[in-house]
Amino acid sequence: MKHTHIAQDHTTAYALTGRPAVVLLSLLIWLSVTALAQNAGQANTSTAPFSIRATHLLGFESAPDNASGTLSIQENALQFQKDGKPAVQVKIASVQDVFLGEESRQVGGLPMTLGKTAAPFGGGRVVSLFAHKKYDTVSLEYVDANGGAHGAIFQLNKGQGEILKNELISRGAHVSHRESESTKECTTEVADESK
Amino acid sequence: MKASKRISWLGLTGVILGLLVLAKYSPGSDSSTAPQWSVQVLKVDSGDANLTASFQIAIYESLIDELNKTKQFKQVLRDGDRNARDVSNLLILKTTVQNYTPGSETKRAVTTVGGATKLTVQSQLCKPDGQIVVDRTVNGNVRFIGSNLKATHNLARNVAKTIKETSLPQPSTSAQAQSGQP
Repeated sequence: MKHTHIAQDHTTAYALTGRPAVVLLSLLIWLSVTALAQNAGQANTSTAPFSIRATHLLGFESAPDNASGTLSIQENALQFQKDGKPAVQVKIASVQDVFLGEESRQVGGLPMTLGKTAAPFGGGRVVSLFAHKKYDTVSLEYVDANGGAHGAIFQLNKGQGEILKNELISRGAHVSHRESESTKECTTEVADESK
Repeated sequence: MKASKRISWLGLTGVILGLLVLAKYSPGSDSSTAPQWSVQVLKVDSGDANLTASFQIAIYESLIDELNKTKQFKQVLRDGDRNARDVSNLLILKTTVQNYTPGSETKRAVTTVGGATKLTVQSQLCKPDGQIVVDRTVNGNVRFIGSNLKATHNLARNVAKTIKETSLPQPSTSAQAQSGQP
């Protein structure tokens, strides 16, 4: 009777000590599964679609110059789509160089220019002092199927140039050492402009 | 009388038609059979000028656009294009920046007289063996209205105009002569 009791106690003790082990094991499995899922999620985000508003200034395949549209990365291609027009794209692997720059441009376009010209007592010039906005420019060099060199320039909102460049690099675009020089040059130019 | 008049009218019409056909198929008048130069545009060499990458790209792309517009060349090829190897009568356009003055659109809008963006380049058209056919210094500026990149467009237009106004040597009629050159 006593023996049985002791045996029962052993079983209870084993059960009590074994349960945390099982819990721990389940926790470990759950954590590893979560970690794997997170890794998979991260892998997905690097190939996840990327899209920003941009103005195509020139050079990108058959896209019209000075056209506003959506610049996106679809799988392995950089794509530009003017609103309501078919998209044009270039393989990211064909991008040979990416340059960042800054530009200060007058806002308002032709109507604003005409309005400033018509303003009496040179009032338009005062407006010009404030009616400008800084943009980022991203210049790309890429090659076509025949090895011919192409260049394209996009104008983006301030701060978005760096994001696009990093996104392109993470997806296999090449960047040469000239990149840092160009940033320096652009900074000089902006400094000159602000004089 | 009536019959002879009809015959003379028919004869006259026949002569006119014959002349028209001759004019159309005479070797001198058909431009499509005349040999024509092709041009390969090389990337812009910034030289000693502190030119930004966006300006270099803009000049290069604008040059290709403007040279295509002139229709002076049979083909306008890009730098590195492998098809250039098989093209006879090929000229190579080299562009070297000599002077670059960065301007400011805001300064132009405020002062009217200041803030101009100025570009000066040396444009050389060479044969594949290095013989220079055309060597000109060309300017492109934006002084009043427009973004700084407009200077590159003006420059490319001036380069294309200069080349068009220059009389190029006659390209060789046989492709063999050109392909034999290094």
